[in-house]
Amino acid sequence: MGVNWKHLIKRLADRGAEYADVRYVPKEENDTLFMWNGNLIAFDRSEERGYGVRVLVDGAWGFAASSSDEEAEAVFDRAFDNAAAASKRSRRPIRLADKDIVKARFESPCGIDPFEVPLLERVAVMKDIDSALQHKDVPQRVVSINTTRKTIRYFDSEGAEIEKYIIEIFPAIQVGAFDSEGVMQQRGYRPPRLGPTRGWEVMNKEHWKRESDRVLSELFEVIAAPVCPSERCSVILMPDMMFLQVHETIGHALELDRILGYELSYAGGSFVRLDDFGKLQYGSEKLNVRADATLVNSPGSFGFDDDGVAAKNRMLIENGILTGAITSRQMVMEANDRAGREIFPDSGGTSRACAFYRVPIERMTNINVDPGEDGTLEDIIKDTERGVILSGERSWSIGSTREQFHFATDIGWLVEDGEKKGALRNCTYEGMTLDFYRSLSKVGDESTWEVQYVDNCGKGAPSQEMQLGHGVPVCRFDNVKVGE
Amino acid sequence: MAKENAIKVLQELAAYARSKDAKAMFAWQSEDSRFVRYANSAVSLNTREILTKLEVTVYGDRKMASSSIMTDANDLDSMKKAVDKAVEMLPFAAPLTYQPTISVIPETVISEEAYDSAVVAMTSDDVIAFVEEAVSGLETEDILLSGNISSGVTEQAFMSTESTEAVCWRATDIGITLVLASLQDKWEVNAEQFAGRVEDLDAGALHDRLSWLVELYTTAPAERVPEQPFTVVFGPAALATYVDYHTWIGFNGGAMKRGFAMLNPDDIGQKVLSDRFTLMEDPTLLETYPRPVDQYGRARKPRPIFDRGVFQGFIWRQSDADEFGEKATGHDVTSLSVAMKGGDRKVSTIQEFAALPRDCDILYIPYLHYTGLVNPTKGIVTGTSRFGPLWLKKDGSIAVPYNVRFTVSLKDLFGDNLRWVSEKTVPWGESSHYRSRNPGATVVPVLACVDNINIELSNESF
Ligand SMILES: [Zn+2]
Repeated sequence: MGVNWKHLIKRLADRGAEYADVRYVPKEENDTLFMWNGNLIAFDRSEERGYGVRVLVDGAWGFAASSSDEEAEAVFDRAFDNAAAASKRSRRPIRLADKDIVKARFESPCGIDPFEVPLLERVAVMKDIDSALQHKDVPQRVVSINTTRKTIRYFDSEGAEIEKYIIEIFPAIQVGAFDSEGVMQQRGYRPPRLGPTRGWEVMNKEHWKRESDRVLSELFEVIAAPVCPSERCSVILMPDMMFLQVHETIGHALELDRILGYELSYAGGSFVRLDDFGKLQYGSEKLNVRADATLVNSPGSFGFDDDGVAAKNRMLIENGILTGAITSRQMVMEANDRAGREIFPDSGGTSRACAFYRVPIERMTNINVDPGEDGTLEDIIKDTERGVILSGERSWSIGSTREQFHFATDIGWLVEDGEKKGALRNCTYEGMTLDFYRSLSKVGDESTWEVQYVDNCGKGAPSQEMQLGHGVPVCRFDNVKVGE
Repeated sequence: MAKENAIKVLQELAAYARSKDAKAMFAWQSEDSRFVRYANSAVSLNTREILTKLEVTVYGDRKMASSSIMTDANDLDSMKKAVDKAVEMLPFAAPLTYQPTISVIPETVISEEAYDSAVVAMTSDDVIAFVEEAVSGLETEDILLSGNISSGVTEQAFMSTESTEAVCWRATDIGITLVLASLQDKWEVNAEQFAGRVEDLDAGALHDRLSWLVELYTTAPAERVPEQPFTVVFGPAALATYVDYHTWIGFNGGAMKRGFAMLNPDDIGQKVLSDRFTLMEDPTLLETYPRPVDQYGRARKPRPIFDRGVFQGFIWRQSDADEFGEKATGHDVTSLSVAMKGGDRKVSTIQEFAALPRDCDILYIPYLHYTGLVNPTKGIVTGTSRFGPLWLKKDGSIAVPYNVRFTVSLKDLFGDNLRWVSEKTVPWGESSHYRSRNPGATVVPVLACVDNINIELSNESF
């Protein structure tokens, strides 16, 4: 490795750059194993290496990326020139909030490195799970395991030097069968992060056998079920649906770049305004939400963000009132400036890029809802007059300022007079974000709380896919529009 | 890297694979992408990424394994290691119930019809000057510019160990989205253009649309739409979103076999949609960045998918055809050339249409934000309006509505409810994908009118 990154950064500073950083990825490996009806139709290893340079010149960003070490100097210059060109159309010079300058290393906690597990064994585990899902009345079954291992080296002109070594595993299963109307019904499972690590140890045989049996039996329930009635009633969201609700209508809505209008050309804005911080009643008093990048076992924890800011655990919503956002060094400066008051004391450490060839933007870490005091799932059901328990994300569609939403789920179960009744199919629910969270009437305790993950959150332009987590309890919302 | 070099590298890799007794297919992509992003009336990001990616798939007896690498275009050693990796993985692949087909490319084909060197020569300053012209005089302290200007060149080359011939393709593409949005009121309007050549860009047309919409959004009354059925005129972005669902859950044979489709083999030859709906996969359409030959070396011909509502049959990619015992139809390309045929309504822009007399209230919905596929079997899609919807009232007046949500079945939308289709069509494209540049565009009518769209959620502000 002949490239002296620090020297190249210094060169840009000498040319007049106000700030520069480089993320060098010497190796990123991704294994994609996808089995459909027992056929391993994707058995793929992909690798990438390269670097991305971000430069601030006259208050504007430029970026360039490449895999060529020989051309490193030219690529750094290209980033500088891009910034200089951008600065000709600048309105508010970009400034970066102060940070602690660190020389540090982060390694994600991992029991067994999945890349060290022989391929034969990995495939055998998938075949085992696939066998457990086999049934004559189930025409579709999927078993997939995606794994990532990467090293990222970060240097900036302020003197930070950070190395991150991250291993992730994303296993999933899904089965599908046709109901009496000929409509494909599906039931899937992705394991929540229950243990302290994120390696191959999540592929515990008994666990997957148990979950495979459950997924199959719930598929049979749903294909025989009546369709979800159209009405207004309570919805009880299981963690495997609640995480997506939080992701789409709290997480994305509270990304400060969206709030400030930086995503208007594609991903969208936010209904939240700068005036709302400290005032807006986002939800009922039972709603407490945080951005916690210190949770050990989630892909939303990465030690240091791509601005070189250490992981933080910050409140976003306290007793229903909006207090915080998902922030980076650039956006907190601009927000405070535009608001004419200090809303954000410093960066929340959420700036991440999905690859060496993309720029960092505000990204969710672990956007968690704190467990509440309304007991177990059974306690919540017992206290519900009429409602639907909803589980498993099937489709999602959200308004461009995250002001409203529509979700469909794999399965639902009717609740009447405090009792869980039979399953329902084709369940959907929709609503306006604030009305919905203000109707939050039950928050399950620790026993209901699970860390779910998202491995494909899309945002930005050029587009980026990111991995993150959501620790959520079972929650009940009232007077919600449900239906087929 | 020039295409000649790509062929040379692939020939070397094929020889290397042969020396290991491996049967392998190679897919090469090299891209040079530039992106200028605007936010809050400033350039918020100016980037350029030069990336090269190689994919190797190795075939055995009812087995396959693949390996890919993104690395320096001259790094042959790493590319050979990718071959080694796939060869090494193959014995561990679980046996398939079918034999996957490896390509035998009969002759070298180099396609460059959609390449324009002027795109490569375009500088950041050129892009900024173009945008200045397109938004001239429209920004204020409150109305701010956002935008994405993506441009680049993509080169692809395909080869296998079974011949020394290659399929090569090179194209340039530009995608422009400009958004003007009110900081205070939060309304947003847009204008878009997608082209393969610099000379096809038209800053004046972008300006015309933006200035017309800004004028309406700053002067017409803003109103909440009642939650009831409406006649809707869709713009190209919305139509392309719906048409693209056909590519996914409509005529794709693999998706059908996997139970993820709204059509089934019984529908072939049946009139399942409106006779106003004709859909082609047509690799002769230059505006779709067409691939005239697929990765298996098969020459591609225009193919009707729906002919006046009658379903003509599924397309089969090679891997799906192998798996399900069908015949591949020459659609192994990274982007299809899908085109919805124009109709008989002679109207070219929304400005023109809004000036015509009308017999009922009409919602104009140019763009759908973040649609969700609620039920693939029934073809049910939900989404919300965005970027400048209009409420064209029966009395000739125009209001600007807050955004609305509606959930529709594609079978109704392109079926009985399709009232008319404009004669004029435009490409609506996308090149920025999560992992690699993939120029593609869907050709759609500029306007199409659909009855009986039920507005189910209606926002109370912008
Ligand atoms: Zn997301």
